[in-house]
Amino acid sequence: METAEEKQKEEILVLSNIWKSFSGVSVLKGVNMTLREGEIHALLGGNGSGKSTLMKIVSGIYGRDAGTILVDGEEVVFQNPSQAHMGHIYLVPQEPQIFPHLSIEENVILGTGCKVGDMTREIVRIGEALGFCEDLSELAGALSIAQQQLLEIIRGLIRKARVLILDEPTSTLTFKEVNSLFERLRVLKSQGIGIFFISHRLNEILEISDRVSVLRDGNMVLCEATSKLDHIKLVKAMLPEGKAGREDPCEERRQSIGDETVFELQGFSSEDFKDVSLNVKSGEIVGLAGVVGAGRTELAEAVMGITGGSAGKVFVSGKEIDGRTPGRCQESGLVYVPEDRAAHGIFLGQPNYFTTTSSILHRFGKVFMSSGKEYGIAKRFIEQFRIKVAGPDQVASTLSGGNQQKVVLSRVIACDPSVIILDEPTRGVDAEARLDVYNIIRSLTAQGVGVLLISSDLEEILELSDRIYIMYHGQITGEYARSECDIETVTAGAFGVQGSHV
Amino acid sequence: MKLVSSVSFKRWEYFILLALFLEIAVFGLINSSFFNFSNLLYTTSDFAHILLVAVPLTLVVITGGIDISIASMMGLTSIVTGFSWQMGLPIGVSILAGFLAGFLAGLFNGLLVSSTDIPAIVITLGTMFLYSGLATGIAGSLGASGYNGIGGFPEGFVSLAYGGLGAVPNSLIIVLLFSLVLSLFLKKNRVGRSLYLIGDNMEAARYSGIKIRKTLLITYSLTGIGAAIAGILLTSYFTSARSDLGSEALLPALTAVVLGGTDIQGGKGSVAGTLIAGIFLGVLKQGLMSMGVTNDVSQVVTGFILIATVVGKVGYSFFKQQRLNRRALRIGLQA
Amino acid sequence: MFSVLIRKRAFLVFLIQIVLIIVVGIINPLFIRVSTLSGIIDSSLIIVLIALGEMFVLLTGGIDVSVGAITGLSAVAVGLSLNAGISIPVSMILGLLAGFAAGAVNGIGVGLIGVPPIIMTLGTMGVFRGTMYILTGGSWIDHVVTSYKRIAGIDLFGISALAWIVLLLGIISALIIQKTRAGRIFHYVGDNREGAFFMGIHVKAGVFWAHVFAGLFAGLAGLVFVSQIGFIPMQTGSGQEMRAVAACVLGGVSLSGGVGGPMGALVGGLFLTTIDSILVFLKVPAFWNDAIAGAILLSVVLLDFRFRKAFEAQLKSRRAQLVLEESALEEGAV
Repeated sequence: METAEEKQKEEILVLSNIWKSFSGVSVLKGVNMTLREGEIHALLGGNGSGKSTLMKIVSGIYGRDAGTILVDGEEVVFQNPSQAHMGHIYLVPQEPQIFPHLSIEENVILGTGCKVGDMTREIVRIGEALGFCEDLSELAGALSIAQQQLLEIIRGLIRKARVLILDEPTSTLTFKEVNSLFERLRVLKSQGIGIFFISHRLNEILEISDRVSVLRDGNMVLCEATSKLDHIKLVKAMLPEGKAGREDPCEERRQSIGDETVFELQGFSSEDFKDVSLNVKSGEIVGLAGVVGAGRTELAEAVMGITGGSAGKVFVSGKEIDGRTPGRCQESGLVYVPEDRAAHGIFLGQPNYFTTTSSILHRFGKVFMSSGKEYGIAKRFIEQFRIKVAGPDQVASTLSGGNQQKVVLSRVIACDPSVIILDEPTRGVDAEARLDVYNIIRSLTAQGVGVLLISSDLEEILELSDRIYIMYHGQITGEYARSECDIETVTAGAFGVQGSHV
Repeated sequence: MKLVSSVSFKRWEYFILLALFLEIAVFGLINSSFFNFSNLLYTTSDFAHILLVAVPLTLVVITGGIDISIASMMGLTSIVTGFSWQMGLPIGVSILAGFLAGFLAGLFNGLLVSSTDIPAIVITLGTMFLYSGLATGIAGSLGASGYNGIGGFPEGFVSLAYGGLGAVPNSLIIVLLFSLVLSLFLKKNRVGRSLYLIGDNMEAARYSGIKIRKTLLITYSLTGIGAAIAGILLTSYFTSARSDLGSEALLPALTAVVLGGTDIQGGKGSVAGTLIAGIFLGVLKQGLMSMGVTNDVSQVVTGFILIATVVGKVGYSFFKQQRLNRRALRIGLQA
Repeated sequence: MFSVLIRKRAFLVFLIQIVLIIVVGIINPLFIRVSTLSGIIDSSLIIVLIALGEMFVLLTGGIDVSVGAITGLSAVAVGLSLNAGISIPVSMILGLLAGFAAGAVNGIGVGLIGVPPIIMTLGTMGVFRGTMYILTGGSWIDHVVTSYKRIAGIDLFGISALAWIVLLLGIISALIIQKTRAGRIFHYVGDNREGAFFMGIHVKAGVFWAHVFAGLFAGLAGLVFVSQIGFIPMQTGSGQEMRAVAACVLGGVSLSGGVGGPMGALVGGLFLTTIDSILVFLKVPAFWNDAIAGAILLSVVLLDFRFRKAFEAQLKSRRAQLVLEESALEEGAV
């Protein structure tokens, strides 16, 4: 139970029975939550759990369908963000909203009703306390992501926010910057400001927060003082009943690993990563662990030729691929399942079979495509992967996240690859589909396909991989066989704590 | 942000077809010549040029782009044809020259759109100006500016627009053939398929290995080809090569595309829809004219239809979302 | 270097213009006479006004292709009411009202309802042009009261009073956009529309008013047209929307929004008109004017694109450098 002292802290924000739906899908189903003065309240949940939506409602970006919000005991209705600002609530979005062609100072005071020059001294003062020392008249377009995030926080403080919401603030920060940020948050906390801290990083939540609320599928399933929680309890709260346990990898898989190296990078470098060398053997699952910002997606996109400006060699089945474009890589047997499914992986407005065949269109004949052949391929995957659709014609946007991901998998597997790079393959995927995806991956390796698995879900990496590389700040900082590491080593490595090499 | 998937596409095509029949019925009651089938067929040659550019424009819009230089390409084709003829080239070669001009203009559009990230609206705004300027310039240098145009074409050429197979005028045959080819291209060919993919999500198309540049080049060349054919037909129809031929075609062409069910943001559309909608608009203009309403008022009506169609779609999507969300709330609260 | 090309573009273009005038003057000394130069200023007023209005829409990241038609519509309104015996001030107000109303229609469609700007303004272009024909019965308005035409002739220090008024309007617009809270909204909406919404900016209102201003200025251009030209053909304003966009882009207004200002519209419009005059003085036949203007627009747009890309590459490498410096410090510290 809570101490008397904790209970006494004033509740500055009370959310009751909040409901919200989008296009007929309920994202929040009657959520209750409170925020106390001087409290850092962490909000945890998987993709689609509703945590971002909830905070957007609090900060006036979305309206709620039902439920009440009390600020200092009084009911409020925010119809737009500026009303929330006037209610001293500010959201620092996951992606900082910067106006690149305006000065830093104007970026800060935008929308407050002040003119440039009114608050300069105040901004400098707040900035220095946060470790932000840029020239206010410079264009904001030149700021780094970390600096942009600080700018957002300054925005909140300038507006005298008493409720500060941070949406995944550490996803693009270095280890040192994260520590720095936490220092500042403690200072703010001591001034009585209430902070919502959305994150998927269990370590950070356990370190900085006073209370944790876990959202799952639009419902609040846990709200406890942090001192009473640990990794395991949090993970359990996030997964649906019965699926909490993660088993050890089975021995049988080891036997499918061949001798042939199907994928190799030598000295691969670019703006975002330095001198990366790694390899994947036939039938092997190699995990690439790291936190967001380590450069793994950038690596994958450079390998596939989506972004240019990289140096170094890429080998698939022993042959070097030059002048890489996505098409060429696919032809050589190297395929990629993108991190951002909606933006890069799937054609939402089209029938799902359009996506399934989009990488193999050249197989269907120069003049006329045979729709029978197309349907056949799509149907085969639907059956094999247990994709829950009415048929190949069903529009992709109506599929659940898990089924969409299966369609994307179908697309790349249809290319008959020898190596697959998977980037966050179970993000936004429900638990049942996740198991299906794991099975698909395993059956692929049984056929000799090599898999490079990029994931920030470190437990996923441990469950699937035979070997694990750790990537930190654009460099490979560790390599382990599965049997040589555990969640602590991998987490530590991903966060930049110097570890041992294989 | 894409609109919520609205009315099913097939349903919209039938709806427009129904509207077309109703329209003919209504006009026919006012002016019985509308019930004369061969008469109807004959009037299509008045707006065949609009259909010829509207159909390839559909393909461009499906990719998420737009081409507002189509009217200028028509004029340019016409003038180049006239210029070549004036210079003494045989009529066949002159027509080819004009065709080439239109094709190259479309290709140039495609080149600029596919190799820069400048929005297609801006590029084609510039080329619209450039091409019409070129046409005016060439015409002027021959002393044929304004309403005079270049004339003196041979009999055979003139009969191109006026001839036909029985009651079906040549222009209609050309329109139908062109539309058939493009429709098959869209639905059955793999490059045509990639138009939908590019329009739906260009980044995903890139990640899938689709050759975006090549595809866009082809698409914009098609509008050039359509404009070229239209320009040549118009030149034959008016027996004069003028730089302002087809200058008013952009609005009705784009309206036909939008009214035919193509989504202006890309990823959805069909040739059939545009064709039916285009015929609807063409008959509308004819019908209004037969009632004594002038050309200029038709412009107002067309502009109004364009705006109303899009407003309708936006409104429908908005209200449907509201309805769906209210229902979800009700269901959730009952649980 | 590139940031200069983007930030100080208006000034640069003005310089180039002076250089051009001098060069042409050397070739044909008749060019550098006060009467010629003030003549250029006078003939530029219409396009400058339209460009000034279009600038507001471009700033917010949109586009308006109906401004030429609005100019024509307002000119018709003025002409008809003058010929009906209505007093000059009232006729002018009617013309401005026509521009305001037209802009408001666009503003409602694009800003409030959410119709894509190209569709809305293409549609209204047709509607407004058609309305012009309907109002006049399809015929030109052959003449207008002489007293109205005299307005264009009023001179002040050798340059027409209208020109001074336009300059004043440009300066006022610049002040509004740079200095007032409400005026800054156009920049905010254009630079980052979603971010502006998050910051509590009334994005819809901003887009609405941008179109209203476009209509208002186009209306003003119509007023000037009637006074300067004295009769109103059906083609009034036709094609001016492109020249207006060209003028703005020349003057440094970015087509993706957020960059540029009224001075750019002024300078750009002046520049295009100067080119026209130069062509005349160099004995280039008039029927090549449009082609040249079109080529200039395309070149400017393409060059602008190149500059922008180079500028962003510069920003990116500066950012990368900062990150490298930071991590070097970090590694040193660990």
